[in-house]
Amino acid sequence: MKKRVDKKAIEMGFNWIFAFIAGGFILLLAIYATTKFVGVQEVKGGTETAAQLVSLFDPLETGLASGESNQINFNKQSRIYNEGCFPDSNRPFGKQEISFSEQTFGNKFGERSEIVPIKNKYVFFEDMIEGKKMYVFSMPFFMPFKVADLIVIVPEKYCFYDAPAEIMNDLENLNIHNVIFPNFTEECKGRVVCFGDSEGCDIKVSMSDSYVQKSGKRLYFNKNLVYGAIFASPQTYECNVKRLMSKLNEVGRVYIDKIEMIQRKGCEARIGDKLNILMSNAMSLNSSRQIIQLAELSDEIDSINEAAKPGCRLFG
Amino acid sequence: MKQKKSNSQLNFAMCNKLLPKSKRSQLKIQEMAFMLVFVFLFFALAGLFALTIFSGNIKQEALKIAEMRTLTSITNLADSPEFYCVVSKSNCIDADKLISLAKNKTNYLIFWPFSSLKVVKMQAFDKKESEMIECNWANYPDCEIFVIYKKENKNIKNERLMSSYVSLCRKEYENGYTYDKCEIAKIVAGTEIKTMD
Repeated sequence: MKKRVDKKAIEMGFNWIFAFIAGGFILLLAIYATTKFVGVQEVKGGTETAAQLVSLFDPLETGLASGESNQINFNKQSRIYNEGCFPDSNRPFGKQEISFSEQTFGNKFGERSEIVPIKNKYVFFEDMIEGKKMYVFSMPFFMPFKVADLIVIVPEKYCFYDAPAEIMNDLENLNIHNVIFPNFTEECKGRVVCFGDSEGCDIKVSMSDSYVQKSGKRLYFNKNLVYGAIFASPQTYECNVKRLMSKLNEVGRVYIDKIEMIQRKGCEARIGDKLNILMSNAMSLNSSRQIIQLAELSDEIDSINEAAKPGCRLFG
Repeated sequence: MKQKKSNSQLNFAMCNKLLPKSKRSQLKIQEMAFMLVFVFLFFALAGLFALTIFSGNIKQEALKIAEMRTLTSITNLADSPEFYCVVSKSNCIDADKLISLAKNKTNYLIFWPFSSLKVVKMQAFDKKESEMIECNWANYPDCEIFVIYKKENKNIKNERLMSSYVSLCRKEYENGYTYDKCEIAKIVAGTEIKTMD
């Protein structure tokens, strides 16, 4: 006779099995909901920060000043993502989109926040920037009247080698500590920006030919746009130049109306026709290369305006 | 109390004896199922309650951020290219540009983060908006309010208004001379209050 083995098994009725399955399901659901909730909180926090970041750009409006700067300090290592620049949406001004995330547990970055649009600012920065402390500065862009303020975010160290005195003064006056001006390229720790024919440069700037060479692309600039070309990704730069030209057209319309107004007050206006040409050329700009020709026309308009009687000048 | 408890235990034991074993198991499963459904419902309701509070906070936070944006934008608006004066004055609005902006309302609707944007001259500070003379190409400069755009232009129902004082200057021509004539004005900008429809 076969001996019966005592397995010491626990008797489990159907109700217990049912309770385990259902209880397990509820528990899993609770864990899922909690994880989701943490994720949503992360996204919410990030979106709030991104929106507040956009608000921080408003006091950077330069007005009569030649530039403004600010320092952004985050509590943790943070990232600002350049989610894209769209010159053809939100017509005629276009828009940029950013999102934000910060470091969570184990040096990992949390979920990206919701996308926050920027419609009335022209922000120049790389595709993704990271840091705990970032410098933001703004410079006015004139063509020939003030078109907008260019906002530049500097997240990492930049070394400007052989920089002209004008650029050195601008950045030093703005207290941008992330940009240093070393004597030799060997001293540089960070992205190397050369204004001459030096070797081992990440970015090359030709002030005489008005272009910046970076990531295998040539970005043409006029006046303060040089900062945008140095610190922004080529796509963002080209897009913002198009957006700026649309803005030029809109501000130009205001000045065209103003010409009529000052003519009523005994002033002779000789700018109108040239301004109209500048505006239509600006609207047909396809790449930054064309900005060089526009700059010539802009200088011509500026000299006509300067020659007018002080009380009859269209713009200051 | 003890008597009551022993009575109920007795009833349950009697019930157990009266019912066949399969029926008893069914009853237990039903009890368990009901219990689990109620536990589930309880958590779902608690979650919904938390979510309502949470979403309420989001709306409050969004309005706070939007208002902060309006406030920071409005204080810097006078220095923007569309407004600033030819003469080098800070916080000064060029009325000759303003009349153009008031004429071409459409494009700037989507540019600034305000639900409405107006500039009111000092002489109309104590008047209701409906009583103010709106500036247009024909009556300028003998008017009281420059309406760049209204909340109705953006199909917005509710808004909260904020204002900031500025100097409003325009060119005047007298005895063969042009000069700047300035007066006090205020920029009034609105922030949309979003409601759940």
